Amino acid sequence: MPLIEVSELVKIYPGDVQAVNDITFSVEEGEIFGFLGPNGAGKTTTIRILVTLLAPTSGRAVVDGIDVMTNPEEVRKRVGYAAQFIGVDDDLTANENLVLQARLHGLSKTEAGKRSNDLLEILQLTDAAHRRAGTFSGGMRRRLDLGQALAHDPRVLFLDEPTTGLDPQNRRALWTYLRELNERGVTIFLTTQYLEEADALTRRLAIIDQGVIAVEGTPQALKDDLGGDAITVTLAAGMDGSEVDRVAGLIGQYSDAGTARTYDGAVRVFTRDAASRLADVVRALDSAGVHVARLEVSEPTLDDVFLRHTGAKMRVEEVKQRSRMMSARKPR
Amino acid sequence: MMRTFRESVVLWGRLMRKIVRVKLLLFFALFQPLLFLLLFSQVFNRLDQLPGFAYDSYLQFLVPSIIALTALNSAFQSGIGMVTDIEDGLLDKFLIAPIRRSSILFGKVMADATRMAMQALVIVGVSLLMGARFETGVLGVGMMIVLAACFGIAWAGLSNVIALRTGNGELTMMIGILITFPVLFLSTSFMPSALLPSWLDTVATFNPITYIVEAVRALVNTGWDWDAIGKAFGVTAGLAVVTFTAATAAFRKVIS
Ligand SMILES: Nc1ncnc2c1ncn2[C@@H]1O[C@H](COP(=O)(O)OP(=O)(O)OP(=O)(O)O)[C@@H](O)[C@H]1O
Ligand SMILES: [Mg+2]
Repeated sequence: MPLIEVSELVKIYPGDVQAVNDITFSVEEGEIFGFLGPNGAGKTTTIRILVTLLAPTSGRAVVDGIDVMTNPEEVRKRVGYAAQFIGVDDDLTANENLVLQARLHGLSKTEAGKRSNDLLEILQLTDAAHRRAGTFSGGMRRRLDLGQALAHDPRVLFLDEPTTGLDPQNRRALWTYLRELNERGVTIFLTTQYLEEADALTRRLAIIDQGVIAVEGTPQALKDDLGGDAITVTLAAGMDGSEVDRVAGLIGQYSDAGTARTYDGAVRVFTRDAASRLADVVRALDSAGVHVARLEVSEPTLDDVFLRHTGAKMRVEEVKQRSRMMSARKPR
Repeated sequence: MMRTFRESVVLWGRLMRKIVRVKLLLFFALFQPLLFLLLFSQVFNRLDQLPGFAYDSYLQFLVPSIIALTALNSAFQSGIGMVTDIEDGLLDKFLIAPIRRSSILFGKVMADATRMAMQALVIVGVSLLMGARFETGVLGVGMMIVLAACFGIAWAGLSNVIALRTGNGELTMMIGILITFPVLFLSTSFMPSALLPSWLDTVATFNPITYIVEAVRALVNTGWDWDAIGKAFGVTAGLAVVTFTAATAAFRKVIS
């Protein structure tokens, strides 16, 4: 039986905002499952329903066999949740924050103190244990927040964009730690805007866009679905859309799918026989007199998967903007 | 019941830590009432010579008003703290714990009451140093503090309604100031009933503060006036029912 089961889940916010529009998926015990999607896709909404903070408009969500609507308290005992925006009390020390969470989950004073010490050790915060959280760096705050989610040793961990705002080094360290946790039996459900993160961390993932699951599967299967390697032709700067379309028409026949994909002044074909197709593509471009800036053969990325299923590239610039907003929010 | 109590105590502990830890907050929680106590007792010092002023000194008359004023101010800190906790994502942290929703409110009420009692105690101490005397002694002071804390909690309900409905700490503070001052001056806080213009005297009888101030004033100056104490608790209870019904509804709406 899956550990998380979601069926026909719908959330409509007041003002007729369709945030989640009939999604169905399940997560097996022991998995790291990823929810990949751009801003406003409905990731946070879904996760907040699963951790009992938000009531769905319709549909069902079951965690560890327990319905989140009918028995939220039992669900709360089993899940840990690190929200998209960090929630630590700046006036308390790291240790006090952790002890508080543990106590709220029913641990005795001594148990909570012990648990806090263990977590501080694991998250490498022991040296800062008795410093006020308000003095912490962004990375330390993230780790403390994760510690709070782990205070009661939950079976399932829900992480909403756990690495947004972290530098590459801290991000990798967190990935390593999440893998270790997973190996010790914790099921992890995480959302992310980073294709790279979903690729590196998740065993299975779903791409969510505008409240709908576009596709679901293992990262490898999703990439394989595209049909082999990608040959990308990037046109010289200043070429208009009609030139892009012309090139697509020229080389589309060399794709296993029979048509090329276009975006941002580039044309792409997917084929399982890239080596010999490349020569065909070059000949076709040459005889038609196309000005090529770059020609490239690569394995498909999750970006390609995303593009194929949502018709848009991940909007990376919005991601950057948002992390600025996050840093503006703190510290007071 | 035991469970709610245990959970509330944990949350109370967090809030008490914060009060002690944030020195600046502690300072302002006590600074303003003491400033008012000093300034008002000096500025209005000579009022005791007015015909119809039945108290030994203006200070004797003023102490209850400062206790009430402090409770009003302190009550608005409660709402502001609520908004801060929501903005900082801390309320969510409490909501995902397997605790009763009511524990979150009880813990807050307990912390508010503790803070208000501490403030009242400091005011009593300082006014003793300034030469005030308390007719009903230690027991009377105890009663005053209980009364101040109860009334403060009822008023904190109002501040939480405003805070939860506006979701904005600064706005809550401004509305708080806007309400507090008229409420204080449209009562017998700074002038005895006999010396108020008659329209104001009438308005004051509809002002809950008047009843709290009068009961405390009797405890300070004349003795155990059970009629006044009864009325004060009655008014407080009535007010609390209204503000807490509204606050609970606002809280439910925010967490749904
Ligand atoms: N409380 C709310 N009231 C009304 N609309 C909301 C509310 N919360 C979210 N929405 C809307 O619902 C949609 C989904 O939001 P959600 O926060 O779930 O997206 P997300 O995938 O987490 O995005 P992000 O990557 O920016 O965090 C968005 O259009 C958002 O504007
Ligand atoms: Mg989100």
